[in-house]
Amino acid sequence: MGLLSIHIKPNFLGLLKCLNKLNWFIVFFSLINLSVCIYEDQIGKFDWRQTYVGRIKFSQFDTVSTAKKIIVATEENVLAALNLKTGQVVWRHVFESASTGNIQLLHVTEKVVTVTGSNPYLVRGWDSSTGVLLWEWSLTLQNEEQADFSEFWVQNNMLVHMLPVFGSHVEVSMYNLLTGQNRGATSKLPATWTNDGCVLSAPYYTCISGGVGSQQLLSLDVTSNAVQLLSRPISEYVNVNTYDGGLRPLDSNNVIPAFTLDDRKIVLIKNNQFEILKTEVVDPSASVALVDTANGQVVVQAWIDENEGFTVRAHAAGSGAEVPELRMSELGLRAGAVELAAATCSRPRDLLVCRLLVTGDDDSLHLMQQGGRILWSREEALANVVAVEFVELPVSDLDAAIESEFDQKEAAKMYSSIWAAFTRRLQTQFQQLQTLIQGLQKADGEPDEAPPALVRDYFGLHKIIVLVTDVGKIFGMDNLSGALLWQYYEPSLDTENVLVFTRRTARYPPHTAYVTIVGKHEESGNGLIISINPITGELIGEKLMHLDVQLLQCALLHRPDNDKLYALILLDKDENVQILPGSAAPLVENMYMYVAEKNTARVQGYALMYDGKALSAVRTWLVHLGGGSPARIVVSARKPAAERVHSPGRVLPDRSVLYKYVNPNLVLFVTEGPDPLHKDVVVATCVDAVSGAVIASQVHRRARALPLAVHTEHYLAYLYYNDKHRRTEIATLELYEGASRWLAAGAAFSSHAGRRAPGVERQAYILAATPAAAATTVTEKSLTDKHVILALASGALVEIPWGYLEARRGGLAEDGSVVAAQPAPPELMLGADASLNYNRSLARPARIHAAPAGLESTSLVLATGLDLFYTRVAPSKTFDLLKDDFDYYLITIVLAALILATYSTKYFASRKILKMAWK
Amino acid sequence: MSQVKTNKKFKWALDFNQKNRTTTTELPSPPGYSASANASYTESSKDTDSNLLLIKKLWDVALGPLKQVPMNLFIMYMAGNSISIFPIMMVGMLIVRPVKALFATSSTFKMVEGTQATGQKFVYFIGNIVNILLALYKCQSMGLLPTHSSDWLAFEEPQTRVEHIGGGMSLI
Repeated sequence: MGLLSIHIKPNFLGLLKCLNKLNWFIVFFSLINLSVCIYEDQIGKFDWRQTYVGRIKFSQFDTVSTAKKIIVATEENVLAALNLKTGQVVWRHVFESASTGNIQLLHVTEKVVTVTGSNPYLVRGWDSSTGVLLWEWSLTLQNEEQADFSEFWVQNNMLVHMLPVFGSHVEVSMYNLLTGQNRGATSKLPATWTNDGCVLSAPYYTCISGGVGSQQLLSLDVTSNAVQLLSRPISEYVNVNTYDGGLRPLDSNNVIPAFTLDDRKIVLIKNNQFEILKTEVVDPSASVALVDTANGQVVVQAWIDENEGFTVRAHAAGSGAEVPELRMSELGLRAGAVELAAATCSRPRDLLVCRLLVTGDDDSLHLMQQGGRILWSREEALANVVAVEFVELPVSDLDAAIESEFDQKEAAKMYSSIWAAFTRRLQTQFQQLQTLIQGLQKADGEPDEAPPALVRDYFGLHKIIVLVTDVGKIFGMDNLSGALLWQYYEPSLDTENVLVFTRRTARYPPHTAYVTIVGKHEESGNGLIISINPITGELIGEKLMHLDVQLLQCALLHRPDNDKLYALILLDKDENVQILPGSAAPLVENMYMYVAEKNTARVQGYALMYDGKALSAVRTWLVHLGGGSPARIVVSARKPAAERVHSPGRVLPDRSVLYKYVNPNLVLFVTEGPDPLHKDVVVATCVDAVSGAVIASQVHRRARALPLAVHTEHYLAYLYYNDKHRRTEIATLELYEGASRWLAAGAAFSSHAGRRAPGVERQAYILAATPAAAATTVTEKSLTDKHVILALASGALVEIPWGYLEARRGGLAEDGSVVAAQPAPPELMLGADASLNYNRSLARPARIHAAPAGLESTSLVLATGLDLFYTRVAPSKTFDLLKDDFDYYLITIVLAALILATYSTKYFASRKILKMAWK
Repeated sequence: MSQVKTNKKFKWALDFNQKNRTTTTELPSPPGYSASANASYTESSKDTDSNLLLIKKLWDVALGPLKQVPMNLFIMYMAGNSISIFPIMMVGMLIVRPVKALFATSSTFKMVEGTQATGQKFVYFIGNIVNILLALYKCQSMGLLPTHSSDWLAFEEPQTRVEHIGGGMSLI
C-alpha cells in the first residue's frame, strides 16, 4: 500500500507530463473509435465475398513460424498462405495472369521465396507471416528458346538455375538467393543423354536414355563440382519388355532425391547410388510422397480406390514395413484422381501425427489428418466459374398445400362436397397455427444453428446459384450465405462455350426443378448434356447424356409441354435438329435460330420447321458482318430470353412519350477487323435474328473491341479501346419508335411485319478505368431503372445508372431544341460510392451475372473471377420495401400511445361534460 | 286636502255614464283622402319595390361567380405554376367553390320564383362553369391533368412476341 501511495501521490505536474506523452495516443485511438463509415452497419448484410486461389501448383507447410500455415502457389499465378486450422486465406498475392506471372518455384523456409515469370524471371522473397515483399531481383537468360525448360531450386541459400539443352549439355548457374549475385560463370556439364522425358529431383537430373531394350537409367548431380554420372541399365529395376518410359518425380518431396519408375518402383538416390525401395507403388494412379519423420523417411501413397474411396498407405522407406498409424481411407472424398500436394509429420508423445494436403482432379484441396479425418476442404474450382444460373426455390409444403387448395381446377377435382373443402380448410389453418407456434418457440429459445430450409421466401430473394466451373465441377450454392449445397463432378465435361438452361422452375410442385448444362465431351468434342435438379444436385431426366455428334448450337423452346418442361432444341454440326424430350416436337412453331461464327464473322439464320414427323432447320438468311474484309466477332449480346418489358416508352420532360423499339429478336454483334486506313475498325451491328435485317450499326475507326457488351430492352452498350486517344470508351445505342407507337398496346411484335427502321440515338463516353466484365441489372418486369455494372481490373464492382450512359444526353432534338436530359460530360465519373463491393476488392473479376428477385426493385448480382462476390442492388432504390433500419418498435409504440390517448381523452371529455351539466 | 281631492276628482274623473254625447265618433276624412285608394296604393307599391330589390339582389347573386373571374385570374397568376402547398390549396379552392355553388343553385334561388329566375339561374350556372373551366385551365397549366399519353403509360399492356429465337456463337 505504501509503495502504491508513493506512485499515486498527487503530483499534477507529473500527471500533466504523463498526459502529454499520452496525448497522441489519445488522439489516435479516439480517431479509430470515432471514425464510422456511412452504412457501416450494412457491411456483409446483403453481400458476401469468397476468396479463392486456384488449382494448387506448389505447396509447402510453413512449420517454422508460430502461426501454422500452408504456403501455396497456384496455376492461377497466386501466392497465398492458408490457415492450417481453417483453410482460410491469411494473405494472398495475385500475380499477372499472363506468362509473366507464372510461378516457377516456391521455396519455404523462414522466408518464402518464389520465382515467377518466364525470362525474365523475378526472384522474390516474402515474409511468411504477413506476406510482405522482402526482396526482389530479376534474372534474364540469354538463351531465349530453351528458357521454357528451365528448372529452379534452392540449395544452401543459393538459387540454382538449370537449363538443359537436350542432347547436348546442361547449363547450371547459382545465384545468391537474397541479392542475385552470381557465384561465378555458368557451368556447362556435357550431357548428350538428356531428352525431354528427364525429371529433376534436386539436385539430381535423371533421364532414361538409349535404344529400346538397352535403356540406361542415368542421373547426374548437377551442383557438385566433380561431374559424377550414375548409370545403370534399366533392366536391373523393371521388366524391359513392359516398360513404356514412365519416369516421374515424387509429388511431394523435400527429403532425398527420388523418383518412380514405370509407375511401379520407387528409386532413391543415396550416397550417389540408386537405391530401390522395398515398397512398390500400390496403385498405378497413386500419388507418392516421401515424408521425413522422427524415425526415418516414410513413403506415403494416396489414390482413389473404387471401393474404399480415398486411400492412404504409408511404409517406412528403410524397412518397407507399413506404418499403421497412417493407414486411412475416406469414402466421402471422391475427386477423380488425387495428388499429395504436401505432407508433414510430427511426433508429439510418441505418436506419429501426419497432415496431408491433398488436391483432387476437380481442383479441390483437402487437409487430411490421422484416421482420414478431413480438417477442411477448399473448392478451388470456383476460382474459374464459366457459367452461372440463378434458380428459384420451391415453396414450402404448407404454402404448396394452400396453393393447391385454392387452385380452381384441382379443388373441383378433389372436393366434391362442401364438407370436404371445409375440413381441408380447417386442417390447413391448424397447420398454419402449428408453424406459427413453432416459430414463436424458436424465437424464444436459443437461435438454432441449422441453416434455413430451402424454401422460397416472401420476397423471392433466396435462390440457388448453379455454378459451372472450368474443370467440369458443378456446384449448387445458397445465394444468401454462399454455402455450397451440393456438387457434381463430371471429368469428361469440357466447359468451353458451356450453356446452362433452366428448363423448369420449382414452381410446379409435383415436378422438380430442372436445369440442363450443355457442354462438350473432353475427348470427342461431341455434345454432353447434364440434367440436374438444382435444389438437390441429383441427376434427373436425361441425366448424363453423351451425344454422338458435335453441337452447333442449342436453344430452349419458348413453350413448356404438359409437364411444364421447356424442351431443348439441339442443332448439330450437320444442321439436323433434335429435341429433348422428343414428344415436344409438335410444339415447335415460330422458332428461329442463329449461329455466329467467331472467326469468320458469318451469321447464319435458321427457321425450325415441324412437318408432322420430324424437325428440320431451314437456312433463311446469312450475314457477313465483316462486309467482305476479314473480321471476327468479339462479342455478341442478346436480351435475356424471359425479358418482357412493362415500360413501353420513356416520358420526356414535355410529357410526351418516346416509345421504345423493343424488338425481342434483336442481337448485337461487335466485330473487329483490320482496315488499310484506320488500322483496326470496330463495327457494332444490330441484327434481327428472325429476318436477318440489320436494324442499326455503328463504326469506330482506330479502335479495338473489348469482349464486353450489354443488351436489354432498347438499350445497347459495348466497350472498346480507342487507339487514337488511348483510352477505353463505352458506346451506347438506344432504339426508339418515335413519338407515336407502331403497334397497339399489348399487340404482338413480329419481325417479319416491321418495315420501319427505328430511330437510333448514339453516344460514347470515356471510361477512366479498365473494365473486365459488364452486365446490366435485371428485374422481374423491367419497370425499374437499369444500371450497368462493370467489374474493373482494379477490383471494384461499379454501378453506373443508365441515366449517365444515356445516348440522348446533351444531344439536339430534331427541332433544334436541346434534349432535356442531364448534360453530358464526356468522361464518366466513377465515384467511390458507386462501388458495390466497397473495400472488398475482387481479384481478377471475369464475369457478372444478374438475376431478378421476386421484388421488382431488386436485382441479385454475382461477380465471379478469382473471388466470388454476391450482392443485391436496387437501381431505383427499394421503393417496394421498407428500409431495413425501419423502426417497427417505435411506430408500434407511437400507435399504441395514440390509441390510448384517444380513448383516455374521450373518457375525460365525457366526464367534464357531465360536470358542466350539473353546474 | 279634501278640497283638493274633490277638485282632482272633478278634474280627472272619467264618467262612463255620459249620455248627452253623440254616438257617432267617426270623423270625416281629410280632404283628398281616400281610404280605399290609399290602402291599395301602399299595398302595390310595397310589393313592387321589394320584388325589384329581390330581383336586383338575385342578379347580384347570379352574377357573383362571373364577377369573381377577374379576381380568380389574378389569384391564378399570382399562384404560379409550381406544385407546392399554397398553389395547390388555391387551385383546390378554385375548383371546389364553383362545384359547391353549382350543387347549391336550387337552394340559393329557392326564395323566389319570378319571371327572371331561369335567366338568373342560367347566368349563375354559366358563371360557375367559367370558374371551373378557369380552374381546370390552371390545373392543366400546372400539369395536374392526365391528358397526355404518358399519364396512361403505366396501364398499357406489355408487348408480346410472335417469333422466338435461340442460338448464339457456334459451339464448335
